[in-house]
Amino acid sequence: MKKQFVWLVAALMAVLLVGCANDKAPAEQAIAGAEQALAATRDAAQKYAPDALQAVDSQLAQVKDMFAKGDYKSVMANIPALNTAIGSLKDTASAKMAEAQQAMAKAKDDWGSVSTDVPKMVAAIQSRVDVLSKSHSLPKGVTKDALASAKSGLDSMKSAWSDAMSAASGGDYSTAMSKAQAVKDQGSQIMQSLGMSSG
Amino acid sequence: MADDKTPADSNPYTQTYVVQSGDSLSKIAQKYYGDASLYDKIFQANRDVLKDPNKIQVGQKLRIP
Repeated sequence: MKKQFVWLVAALMAVLLVGCANDKAPAEQAIAGAEQALAATRDAAQKYAPDALQAVDSQLAQVKDMFAKGDYKSVMANIPALNTAIGSLKDTASAKMAEAQQAMAKAKDDWGSVSTDVPKMVAAIQSRVDVLSKSHSLPKGVTKDALASAKSGLDSMKSAWSDAMSAASGGDYSTAMSKAQAVKDQGSQIMQSLGMSSG
Repeated sequence: MADDKTPADSNPYTQTYVVQSGDSLSKIAQKYYGDASLYDKIFQANRDVLKDPNKIQVGQKLRIP
């Protein structure tokens, strides 16, 4: 009776071992598939959805840990969720990439008009600063401090505009537009301080 | 066809002024620069519509550089 029991236990263990060995290959393949899918989207995800990528990497690490511990059943149970997360990451990265490309295209379009507009603004302010600098007394509403501030502001506008043009020539129209807008905002303030805004 | 009372320059940031009755370039210079003697700056900026600094017309649109 005891001998029979030993044989039974041995047989069960053999069945379990074979079962585990049978689960290993599919688990290994499933992980390899997930890794391959993630690798295909990693670059875009790193740039456009880094937080989501980190979460998926962590999910993958957990599944690989299960595999390392020989828990192939858990691996197989968790693979569908991992694959869904990778698919979702791919969608998010693609959507954000399209959004960024659209924003860049718009910035490039906007740059076309801004690149001729801002120099005109700078020229108009420069002209007024030059004339006021020759004036014996300033017009009503314009103070000496305002003129001094306009002079230094004009230098700062020119420098920022030069940065904007460098960004544009490097293809970074978003940065170029952001700097150009700052130049325009500063220019509007200077124009107001010099009484150039009213007719 | 261009309006001969309007300057040809199209810098949208250059201030403009429409001449009123009783105006002279020196009065306009006084208003915008605080110094009537700078009237020539306005005259030079509007040479395309002004031939004589003493002859400006009511309704003329002048650039104020």
